[in-house]
Amino acid sequence: MHTGINGEVLKIEDLHFSYEKGEEVLCGVNLTAKDGESIGIIGANGIGKSTLMKLLVGLRLDYTGTLEVAGHPVNKENLNHIREHIGYVFQDSDSQLFLSTVEEDVAFGPQNYGLSDEEVERRVSEALEKVHMTELRKRHNYNLSGGEKKLASIATILSMEPDIIIMDEPSIALDPRNRRNLIGILNEIKALKIVTSHDLDFILDTCERVVLLDEGRILADGDAKEILRDKELLESHGLELPLSLSRG
Amino acid sequence: MNRLHPVGKLLVCVFYILVVTSFDKYALDKLILMAVFPIFGFVVGELSIKEGLYRMRLILPLVLFVGIFNPFFDRNVLFSIGEGTAHEIAVTGGVISMLTLMLKGFYAVLSAYILIATTSIEEICYGLRAIHVPKIIVIVIMLIYRYFGLMGNEANRIMTAYMLRAPKQKGIHYRAWGSLVGQWLLRSMDRASAVYESMTLRGFNGDFRVKRKGVNPIDVLYPAAWILMFVFIRYIY
Repeated sequence: MHTGINGEVLKIEDLHFSYEKGEEVLCGVNLTAKDGESIGIIGANGIGKSTLMKLLVGLRLDYTGTLEVAGHPVNKENLNHIREHIGYVFQDSDSQLFLSTVEEDVAFGPQNYGLSDEEVERRVSEALEKVHMTELRKRHNYNLSGGEKKLASIATILSMEPDIIIMDEPSIALDPRNRRNLIGILNEIKALKIVTSHDLDFILDTCERVVLLDEGRILADGDAKEILRDKELLESHGLELPLSLSRG
Repeated sequence: MNRLHPVGKLLVCVFYILVVTSFDKYALDKLILMAVFPIFGFVVGELSIKEGLYRMRLILPLVLFVGIFNPFFDRNVLFSIGEGTAHEIAVTGGVISMLTLMLKGFYAVLSAYILIATTSIEEICYGLRAIHVPKIIVIVIMLIYRYFGLMGNEANRIMTAYMLRAPKQKGIHYRAWGSLVGQWLLRSMDRASAVYESMTLRGFNGDFRVKRKGVNPIDVLYPAAWILMFVFIRYIY
């Protein structure tokens, strides 16, 4: 994998973005991340978390500032290359899964990158094994439960063997068992993980580093346990202490 | 039947429709014999006739409507039933041609249904590419299929939400039609955009790539046997 001069997989400098003129969603975001890190992006609703994630994967290119993934600027020319390195798990699994069966969906990415049938098969098997869904590979997506859909969505990304995995609210609508299962799976993934979530307990369980966003800026960036214990900081930006920490 | 190679199933379906539609307008006897394929498809494919008819309920009336005016235009008597008796019924060319037209449409829809019920859309698209249907057409078919499903889901959600809050009402009140249709289109567009984004993020760039499927002897025998059967009924019987 290519990295920047200081070994960063991801480099964001003075990033600005607005959907409409004069209303900046992101105003001067700076962030770097190294291989293998797990970063939780937290913040209240509508402060630009999902927008930032979409910019990282090149779903919007009309930003200003520096945005580099695996040493390459995110622009039209580099999109294919960048998307080979970065996997995005949508908040809504139904948008992620569009083929008939789990197996076909997990194979979609590797097939599009022109890999051999044997390599595609290996990746599909490994990805499904990682999310404990080997037995459901022939199952129709339509018949999956919410938790299974989320895991299948993650498998569709893992099969591409990305260096960076971005997840938008992965724990949403999961029951405690599926949530616990997902935490275990995420903690086994070695790639750089960027997770946005309002579920701060989930962030605490899966991320070592936390970035707090508000008003389009990064207001805190550091050790997850330190930031998530800071009641005053969290409450002043529309968040609350994680349940596991608020019980004392 | 689900395990057969999609190219074979696609060829049989296309050939069947071509043969069925090529019959003369009075060739009712031969057309009745062509029922052998849909019957085989429903029995071997373990398809439910009831469910099949339910799923085709929107298209069948249109298909059966074709030719309904033929009896008025073609009054040429071909033969009579109960000739010489008090209850003699003259069968005109219009009636026969109406029945053949109806059967042709009915068979065509049935064969397409059998193909769809026993083959996934991805396999059908793979089959279409294998017989050199242009890539752009295949991709459009696949995307339409995906987006139609998605629009159906959104319509279902909106309908459910509406019905739960209007339990005493039959159907949707006309005052709500405009906003519901607007919501439906907007939500479908959002979902369609998300699906497209998901595809592009996983390397989709307009190329169509699927896993190549192995061919077994039965995959060759199946289309060959049916095509011979159709040719026999059409030209030799």
